[in-house]
Amino acid sequence: MIIKIDGKECTAQKGEYLLNVARRNGIEIPTLCHSDALPGIGSCRICIVEVVEKGRSRIVTSCIFPVMGEIEVLTNSKKIRDMRKTLLMLYLARVPENETIKKLAKEYGAKVPQRFSVDKSEDCILCGLCVKACESLGSSAISTVNRGVTKKVSTPYDEPSKECIGCGSCAFVCPTNAIRIEEKNGIRTIWNKDFELVRCKKCGEYFATKEQIEYINKKKDFNLEDEMLCDKCKKKKAGERLKDVFEDYKE
Amino acid sequence: MSNIMEIIKKYPREKRYTLAMLQDVQKHFNYIPRQALEMISEYVNTPLSNLYSMATFYKALSLKPKGKYVIKVCDGTACHIRSSMVLIDEIYNILKIRPGETTEDGMFSLETVNCLGSCAIAPVMVVNDKYYGKVSPAMVREIIKEYGGEKNE
Ligand code: SF4
Ligand code: FES
Ligand code: FES
Repeated sequence: MIIKIDGKECTAQKGEYLLNVARRNGIEIPTLCHSDALPGIGSCRICIVEVVEKGRSRIVTSCIFPVMGEIEVLTNSKKIRDMRKTLLMLYLARVPENETIKKLAKEYGAKVPQRFSVDKSEDCILCGLCVKACESLGSSAISTVNRGVTKKVSTPYDEPSKECIGCGSCAFVCPTNAIRIEEKNGIRTIWNKDFELVRCKKCGEYFATKEQIEYINKKKDFNLEDEMLCDKCKKKKAGERLKDVFEDYKE
Repeated sequence: MSNIMEIIKKYPREKRYTLAMLQDVQKHFNYIPRQALEMISEYVNTPLSNLYSMATFYKALSLKPKGKYVIKVCDGTACHIRSSMVLIDEIYNILKIRPGETTEDGMFSLETVNCLGSCAIAPVMVVNDKYYGKVSPAMVREIIKEYGGEKNE
Protein backbone atom coordinates (compact mmCIF):
# COMPACT_ATOMS: atom_id res chain seq x y z
CA MET A 1 0.00 0.00 0.00
CA ILE A 2 1.15 3.53 -0.73
CA ILE A 3 0.86 6.37 1.76
CA LYS A 4 1.96 9.95 1.38
CA ILE A 5 4.27 11.41 4.00
CA ASP A 6 5.09 15.11 3.63
CA GLY A 7 4.20 14.77 -0.02
CA LYS A 8 6.48 11.80 -0.61
CA GLU A 9 5.00 8.47 -1.72
CA CYS A 10 6.04 5.69 0.61
CA THR A 11 5.24 1.99 0.55
CA ALA A 12 3.88 0.55 3.78
CA GLN A 13 2.77 -2.85 4.97
CA LYS A 14 -0.66 -3.01 6.53
CA GLY A 15 -0.26 -2.68 10.29
CA GLU A 16 3.26 -1.30 10.13
CA TYR A 17 3.92 1.55 12.54
CA LEU A 18 3.89 4.97 10.94
CA LEU A 19 7.21 5.98 12.52
CA ASN A 20 8.94 2.97 10.96
CA VAL A 21 7.50 3.72 7.54
CA ALA A 22 8.65 7.32 7.73
CA ARG A 23 12.16 6.46 8.91
CA ARG A 24 12.56 3.75 6.30
CA ASN A 25 11.80 6.41 3.71
CA GLY A 26 14.28 8.86 5.10
CA ILE A 27 11.78 11.12 6.83
CA GLU A 28 12.92 12.06 10.32
CA ILE A 29 10.43 12.30 13.15
CA PRO A 30 11.80 13.17 16.61
CA THR A 31 11.34 10.53 19.32
CA LEU A 32 12.29 10.18 22.97
CA CYS A 33 10.62 7.11 24.42
CA HIS A 34 11.11 4.95 21.35
CA SER A 35 13.62 2.14 20.95
CA ASP A 36 13.71 -0.15 17.94
CA ALA A 37 14.42 -3.06 20.25
CA LEU A 38 11.41 -2.63 22.50
CA PRO A 39 7.63 -2.54 22.10
CA GLY A 40 6.34 1.04 21.88
CA ILE A 41 5.18 2.72 25.06
CA GLY A 42 3.94 5.95 23.51
CA SER A 43 4.53 8.07 26.57
CA CYS A 44 6.61 11.05 25.46
CA ARG A 45 4.34 12.18 22.59
CA ILE A 46 7.11 14.05 20.82
CA CYS A 47 6.61 11.85 17.74
CA ILE A 48 3.10 13.14 17.06
CA VAL A 49 2.13 13.77 13.44
CA GLU A 50 -0.94 14.89 11.55
CA VAL A 51 -2.87 12.24 9.65
CA VAL A 52 -5.27 13.37 6.93
CA GLU A 53 -7.91 10.89 5.96
CA LYS A 54 -10.99 11.60 3.85
CA GLY A 55 -10.32 15.31 4.15
CA ARG A 56 -10.14 15.24 7.93
CA SER A 57 -7.02 15.77 9.93
CA ARG A 58 -6.18 14.35 13.33
CA ILE A 59 -3.14 14.04 15.55
CA VAL A 60 -1.67 10.59 16.14
CA THR A 61 1.33 9.18 17.98
CA SER A 62 3.42 7.85 15.11
CA CYS A 63 5.50 5.32 17.06
CA ILE A 64 2.42 3.33 18.03
CA PHE A 65 0.11 4.17 15.13
CA PRO A 66 -0.38 1.23 12.78
CA VAL A 67 -0.98 2.18 9.15
CA MET A 68 -4.25 0.58 8.09
CA GLY A 69 -5.32 2.56 5.03
CA GLU A 70 -4.24 5.02 2.40
CA ILE A 71 -3.49 8.07 4.47
CA GLU A 72 -1.68 11.33 4.02
CA VAL A 73 0.72 12.33 6.74
CA LEU A 74 2.22 15.66 7.76
CA THR A 75 5.14 15.30 10.12
CA ASN A 76 6.15 18.92 10.40
CA SER A 77 3.07 21.12 9.94
CA LYS A 78 2.60 24.35 11.88
CA LYS A 79 0.12 22.60 14.15
CA ILE A 80 2.56 19.80 14.92
CA ARG A 81 5.47 22.15 15.47
CA ASP A 82 3.39 24.22 17.90
CA MET A 83 2.36 21.15 19.84
CA ARG A 84 5.91 19.86 20.02
CA LYS A 85 6.97 23.29 21.22
CA THR A 86 4.49 23.12 24.08
CA LEU A 87 5.63 19.62 24.99
CA LEU A 88 9.25 20.72 24.99
CA MET A 89 8.47 23.72 27.13
CA LEU A 90 7.05 21.33 29.71
CA TYR A 91 10.01 18.99 29.41
CA LEU A 92 12.32 21.95 29.85
CA ALA A 93 10.48 22.85 33.01
CA ARG A 94 11.40 19.45 34.34
CA VAL A 95 14.92 19.00 33.00
CA PRO A 96 16.17 22.53 32.21
CA GLU A 97 19.82 21.55 31.83
CA ASN A 98 19.46 18.35 29.88
CA GLU A 99 21.35 18.39 26.58
CA THR A 100 18.92 16.24 24.57
CA ILE A 101 15.94 18.30 25.59
CA LYS A 102 17.79 21.60 25.27
CA LYS A 103 18.76 20.73 21.71
CA LEU A 104 15.22 19.76 20.72
CA ALA A 105 13.78 22.78 22.49
CA LYS A 106 16.05 25.08 20.55
CA GLU A 107 14.94 23.47 17.32
CA TYR A 108 11.32 24.18 18.16
CA GLY A 109 11.87 27.53 19.81
CA ALA A 110 10.72 26.41 23.25
CA LYS A 111 11.97 28.32 26.28
CA VAL A 112 12.16 27.49 29.97
CA PRO A 113 8.93 28.73 31.49
CA GLN A 114 9.70 31.28 34.18
CA ARG A 115 6.82 30.56 36.47
CA PHE A 116 7.97 27.12 37.56
CA SER A 117 10.71 26.51 40.04
CA VAL A 118 12.97 23.92 38.54
CA ASP A 119 15.49 21.37 39.71
CA LYS A 120 18.57 21.97 37.58
CA SER A 121 20.13 18.60 38.31
CA GLU A 122 17.19 16.57 37.06
CA ASP A 123 17.62 14.69 33.78
CA CYS A 124 14.80 12.14 33.83
CA ILE A 125 11.65 12.92 31.84
CA LEU A 126 9.85 9.89 33.30
CA CYS A 127 9.22 8.32 29.91
CA GLY A 128 9.47 4.80 31.34
CA LEU A 129 11.68 3.35 28.62
CA CYS A 130 14.31 2.14 31.09
CA VAL A 131 11.68 0.29 33.10
CA LYS A 132 10.46 -1.37 29.92
CA ALA A 133 13.99 -2.37 28.93
CA CYS A 134 14.69 -3.90 32.34
CA GLU A 135 11.40 -5.77 32.24
CA SER A 136 11.97 -7.06 28.72
CA LEU A 137 15.33 -8.47 29.72
CA GLY A 138 13.66 -10.29 32.56
CA SER A 139 15.23 -8.55 35.53
CA SER A 140 12.59 -5.99 36.49
CA ALA A 141 14.96 -4.43 38.97
CA ILE A 142 13.59 -0.91 38.53
CA SER A 143 10.14 0.63 38.33
CA THR A 144 8.44 3.96 38.70
CA VAL A 145 8.06 4.88 42.33
CA ASN A 146 5.61 7.31 43.99
CA ARG A 147 3.34 9.53 41.98
CA GLY A 148 2.72 13.12 41.09
CA VAL A 149 5.59 15.51 41.69
CA THR A 150 7.61 12.94 43.63
CA LYS A 151 7.43 10.29 40.91
CA LYS A 152 10.80 8.86 39.92
CA VAL A 153 12.49 5.73 38.64
CA SER A 154 14.25 3.63 41.25
CA THR A 155 14.88 0.24 42.78
CA PRO A 156 12.67 -0.94 45.67
CA TYR A 157 13.49 1.04 48.83
CA ASP A 158 16.22 2.86 46.84
CA GLU A 159 18.54 0.00 47.77
CA PRO A 160 20.84 -2.13 45.62
CA SER A 161 18.51 -4.62 43.98
CA LYS A 162 18.95 -8.39 44.11
CA GLU A 163 17.56 -8.62 40.61
CA CYS A 164 19.90 -6.07 39.00
CA ILE A 165 22.66 -7.70 36.96
CA GLY A 166 24.35 -4.45 36.04
CA CYS A 167 23.80 -4.88 32.32
CA GLY A 168 23.25 -1.15 31.87
CA SER A 169 20.42 -1.57 29.36
CA CYS A 170 18.39 1.05 31.21
CA ALA A 171 21.16 3.61 30.83
CA PHE A 172 21.68 2.57 27.23
CA VAL A 173 18.07 3.17 26.15
CA CYS A 174 17.54 6.34 28.19
CA PRO A 175 16.97 9.21 25.75
CA THR A 176 18.20 11.87 28.15
CA ASN A 177 21.17 10.09 29.66
CA ALA A 178 19.60 10.30 33.08
CA ILE A 179 20.90 7.05 34.55
CA ARG A 180 24.33 7.24 36.12
CA ILE A 181 26.63 4.41 35.22
CA GLU A 182 30.27 4.53 36.27
CA GLU A 183 33.20 2.30 35.46
CA LYS A 184 36.42 2.42 37.44
CA ASN A 185 39.16 -0.17 38.04
CA GLY A 186 37.11 -3.04 36.68
CA ILE A 187 34.06 -2.13 38.72
CA ARG A 188 30.79 -0.90 37.24
CA THR A 189 28.48 1.03 39.54
CA ILE A 190 24.83 1.48 38.69
CA TRP A 191 21.71 1.88 40.87
CA ASN A 192 23.88 1.96 44.02
CA LYS A 193 25.32 -1.46 43.29
CA ASP A 194 28.88 -2.46 42.37
CA PHE A 195 29.59 -5.09 39.73
CA GLU A 196 32.81 -6.80 38.84
CA LEU A 197 33.57 -6.51 35.15
CA VAL A 198 34.78 -9.39 33.01
CA ARG A 199 37.35 -9.07 30.24
CA CYS A 200 36.96 -10.28 26.67
CA LYS A 201 39.16 -13.34 26.20
CA LYS A 202 40.51 -12.04 22.94
CA CYS A 203 41.05 -8.30 23.10
CA GLY A 204 41.13 -8.03 26.87
CA GLU A 205 38.63 -5.23 27.14
CA TYR A 206 35.97 -5.19 29.83
CA PHE A 207 32.68 -6.10 28.20
CA ALA A 208 30.18 -7.42 30.73
CA THR A 209 29.53 -7.93 34.43
CA LYS A 210 29.96 -11.26 36.15
CA GLU A 211 26.29 -11.26 37.07
CA GLN A 212 25.34 -10.69 33.44
CA ILE A 213 27.29 -13.73 32.30
CA GLU A 214 25.84 -15.86 35.07
CA TYR A 215 22.38 -14.68 34.14
CA ILE A 216 22.82 -15.59 30.49
CA ASN A 217 24.26 -18.97 31.43
CA LYS A 218 21.27 -19.68 33.58
CA LYS A 219 18.71 -18.53 31.03
CA LYS A 220 20.16 -20.31 28.04
CA ASP A 221 21.26 -23.90 28.03
CA PHE A 222 24.70 -23.28 26.70
CA ASN A 223 27.68 -22.17 28.71
CA LEU A 224 29.16 -18.81 27.91
CA GLU A 225 32.46 -19.58 29.62
CA ASP A 226 34.24 -20.34 26.37
CA GLU A 227 32.38 -17.64 24.49
CA MET A 228 33.66 -14.86 26.69
CA LEU A 229 34.12 -12.43 23.88
CA CYS A 230 32.99 -8.88 23.53
CA ASP A 231 30.65 -7.95 20.70
CA LYS A 232 33.43 -6.70 18.46
CA CYS A 233 35.51 -9.86 18.78
CA LYS A 234 32.44 -12.02 18.43
CA LYS A 235 31.62 -10.36 15.13
CA LYS A 236 35.18 -10.76 13.98
CA LYS A 237 35.12 -14.43 14.89
CA ALA A 238 31.86 -14.95 13.06
CA GLY A 239 33.32 -13.15 10.06
CA GLU A 240 36.37 -15.40 10.07
CA ARG A 241 34.19 -18.45 10.30
CA LEU A 242 32.15 -17.22 7.37
CA LYS A 243 35.31 -16.61 5.40
CA ASP A 244 36.47 -20.16 6.10
CA VAL A 245 33.16 -21.52 4.90
CA PHE A 246 33.42 -19.55 1.71
CA GLU A 247 36.97 -20.61 1.10
CA ASP A 248 36.02 -24.23 1.65
CA TYR A 249 33.22 -23.72 -0.79
CA LYS A 250 35.50 -22.27 -3.45
CA GLU A 251 37.87 -25.18 -3.33
CA MET B 1 5.38 -13.38 60.43
CA SER B 2 2.92 -16.18 59.87
CA ASN B 3 0.21 -13.49 60.07
CA ILE B 4 1.20 -12.15 56.70
CA MET B 5 1.03 -15.56 55.10
CA GLU B 6 -2.42 -16.10 56.53
CA ILE B 7 -3.62 -12.86 55.01
CA ILE B 8 -2.23 -13.45 51.57
CA LYS B 9 -3.06 -17.14 51.43
CA LYS B 10 -6.73 -16.25 51.30
CA TYR B 11 -6.13 -15.33 47.67
CA PRO B 12 -5.14 -17.51 44.73
CA ARG B 13 -1.52 -17.24 43.61
CA GLU B 14 -2.32 -14.86 40.80
CA LYS B 15 -0.98 -11.44 40.04
CA ARG B 16 -4.39 -9.85 39.72
CA TYR B 17 -5.01 -10.28 43.45
CA THR B 18 -1.96 -8.31 44.55
CA LEU B 19 -3.81 -5.08 45.22
CA ALA B 20 -6.38 -6.88 47.34
CA MET B 21 -3.60 -8.57 49.31
CA LEU B 22 -1.84 -5.26 49.84
CA GLN B 23 -5.06 -3.66 51.05
CA ASP B 24 -5.62 -6.47 53.55
CA VAL B 25 -2.06 -6.25 54.82
CA GLN B 26 -2.42 -2.48 55.17
CA LYS B 27 -5.61 -2.93 57.14
CA HIS B 28 -4.12 -5.49 59.47
CA PHE B 29 -0.80 -3.78 60.24
CA ASN B 30 -1.71 -0.17 59.48
CA TYR B 31 1.12 -0.27 56.96
CA ILE B 32 2.90 -2.63 54.59
CA PRO B 33 5.88 -4.26 56.24
CA ARG B 34 8.78 -4.94 53.93
CA GLN B 35 8.52 -8.62 54.67
CA ALA B 36 4.95 -8.64 53.41
CA LEU B 37 5.97 -7.05 50.15
CA GLU B 38 8.67 -9.66 49.70
CA MET B 39 6.34 -12.52 50.57
CA ILE B 40 3.66 -11.38 48.15
CA SER B 41 6.30 -10.97 45.46
CA GLU B 42 7.25 -14.60 45.89
CA TYR B 43 3.70 -15.83 46.33
CA VAL B 44 2.37 -14.38 43.07
CA ASN B 45 5.72 -14.64 41.29
CA THR B 46 5.92 -10.94 40.49
CA PRO B 47 9.04 -8.76 40.69
CA LEU B 48 9.44 -6.83 43.93
CA SER B 49 9.85 -3.63 41.91
CA ASN B 50 6.29 -3.99 40.57
CA LEU B 51 4.87 -4.31 44.04
CA TYR B 52 6.96 -1.46 45.36
CA SER B 53 5.69 0.68 42.51
CA MET B 54 2.10 -0.13 43.50
CA ALA B 55 2.67 0.35 47.21
CA THR B 56 4.13 3.80 46.64
CA PHE B 57 1.50 4.78 44.09
CA TYR B 58 -1.76 4.29 45.99
CA LYS B 59 -2.48 6.72 48.78
CA ALA B 60 -4.37 4.04 50.68
CA LEU B 61 -1.17 2.05 51.03
CA SER B 62 1.71 3.10 53.21
CA LEU B 63 5.20 1.74 53.70
CA LYS B 64 5.59 3.54 57.00
CA PRO B 65 3.46 2.63 60.00
CA LYS B 66 0.41 4.86 60.23
CA GLY B 67 -1.20 6.01 63.44
CA LYS B 68 -3.96 4.11 65.19
CA TYR B 69 -6.23 7.00 64.26
CA VAL B 70 -5.89 8.44 60.81
CA ILE B 71 -7.17 11.99 60.61
CA LYS B 72 -8.15 13.12 57.16
CA VAL B 73 -8.78 16.76 56.61
CA CYS B 74 -10.53 17.55 53.36
CA ASP B 75 -8.76 20.18 51.32
CA GLY B 76 -11.06 20.02 48.32
CA THR B 77 -12.33 23.25 46.81
CA ALA B 78 -15.34 23.70 49.09
CA CYS B 79 -13.44 22.81 52.24
CA HIS B 80 -10.45 24.88 51.22
CA ILE B 81 -12.66 27.94 50.82
CA ARG B 82 -14.10 27.25 54.24
CA SER B 83 -10.62 27.39 55.78
CA SER B 84 -9.53 23.77 55.96
CA MET B 85 -5.97 25.10 56.30
CA VAL B 86 -6.87 26.55 59.67
CA LEU B 87 -7.85 23.06 60.82
CA ILE B 88 -4.56 21.67 59.60
CA ASP B 89 -2.69 24.39 61.51
CA GLU B 90 -4.72 23.67 64.61
CA ILE B 91 -3.90 19.97 64.39
CA TYR B 92 -0.24 20.90 64.14
CA ASN B 93 -0.57 23.04 67.26
CA ILE B 94 -2.07 20.17 69.18
CA LEU B 95 -0.30 17.10 67.83
CA LYS B 96 2.78 18.57 66.11
CA ILE B 97 2.20 16.66 62.91
CA ARG B 98 1.84 17.90 59.37
CA PRO B 99 0.06 16.10 56.51
CA GLY B 100 1.80 12.79 55.82
CA GLU B 101 3.23 12.53 59.34
CA THR B 102 2.47 10.38 62.36
CA THR B 103 2.79 11.26 66.04
CA GLU B 104 5.71 9.70 67.88
CA ASP B 105 3.46 7.61 70.08
CA GLY B 106 1.90 6.10 66.95
CA MET B 107 -1.58 7.31 67.86
CA PHE B 108 -2.37 9.82 65.12
CA SER B 109 -1.58 10.32 61.45
CA LEU B 110 -2.63 13.31 59.43
CA GLU B 111 -3.56 13.32 55.77
CA THR B 112 -5.28 15.68 53.43
CA VAL B 113 -7.78 14.48 50.84
CA ASN B 114 -9.41 16.15 47.90
CA CYS B 115 -13.17 16.28 48.38
CA LEU B 116 -15.06 13.65 50.31
CA GLY B 117 -18.30 14.35 48.52
CA SER B 118 -19.71 16.10 51.56
CA CYS B 119 -19.17 19.69 50.48
CA ALA B 120 -22.48 20.79 52.02
CA ILE B 121 -20.99 20.35 55.48
CA ALA B 122 -17.57 21.79 54.65
CA PRO B 123 -15.03 21.87 56.14
CA VAL B 124 -14.98 18.14 56.67
CA MET B 125 -12.68 16.05 58.82
CA VAL B 126 -12.66 12.25 59.13
CA VAL B 127 -11.11 10.15 61.85
CA ASN B 128 -10.77 6.55 60.71
CA ASP B 129 -14.31 6.09 59.41
CA LYS B 130 -16.14 8.77 61.36
CA TYR B 131 -17.12 12.01 59.63
CA TYR B 132 -17.20 15.42 61.27
CA GLY B 133 -18.83 18.34 59.44
CA LYS B 134 -18.64 22.13 59.77
CA VAL B 135 -15.56 21.70 61.87
CA SER B 136 -14.13 24.70 63.70
CA PRO B 137 -10.66 24.87 65.29
CA ALA B 138 -12.27 24.56 68.72
CA MET B 139 -14.00 21.38 67.60
CA VAL B 140 -10.71 19.95 66.38
CA ARG B 141 -9.42 20.04 69.94
CA GLU B 142 -12.54 18.30 71.23
CA ILE B 143 -12.41 15.62 68.55
CA ILE B 144 -8.78 14.83 69.22
CA LYS B 145 -9.58 14.56 72.92
CA GLU B 146 -12.27 12.01 72.06
CA TYR B 147 -9.53 9.74 70.79
CA GLY B 148 -7.31 10.24 73.79
CA GLY B 149 -5.00 12.86 72.34
CA GLU B 150 -3.73 15.80 74.39
CA LYS B 151 -5.09 14.51 77.70
CA ASN B 152 -2.66 16.44 79.82
CA GLU B 153 -3.83 19.83 78.65
S1 SF4 C 1 15.68 7.39 33.36
FE1 SF4 C 1 15.64 7.85 31.15
S2 SF4 C 1 14.58 6.07 30.23
FE2 SF4 C 1 14.13 6.06 32.42
S3 SF4 C 1 12.20 7.17 32.63
FE3 SF4 C 1 13.86 8.66 32.96
S4 SF4 C 1 14.21 9.56 30.93
FE4 SF4 C 1 13.03 7.68 30.59
S1 FES D 1 8.45 8.27 20.66
FE1 FES D 1 6.38 8.08 20.24
S2 FES D 1 5.46 8.64 22.09
FE2 FES D 1 7.56 8.72 22.57
S1 FES E 1 -14.41 19.75 49.18
FE1 FES E 1 -14.40 18.82 51.11
S2 FES E 1 -16.05 17.47 50.96
FE2 FES E 1 -16.01 18.36 49.00
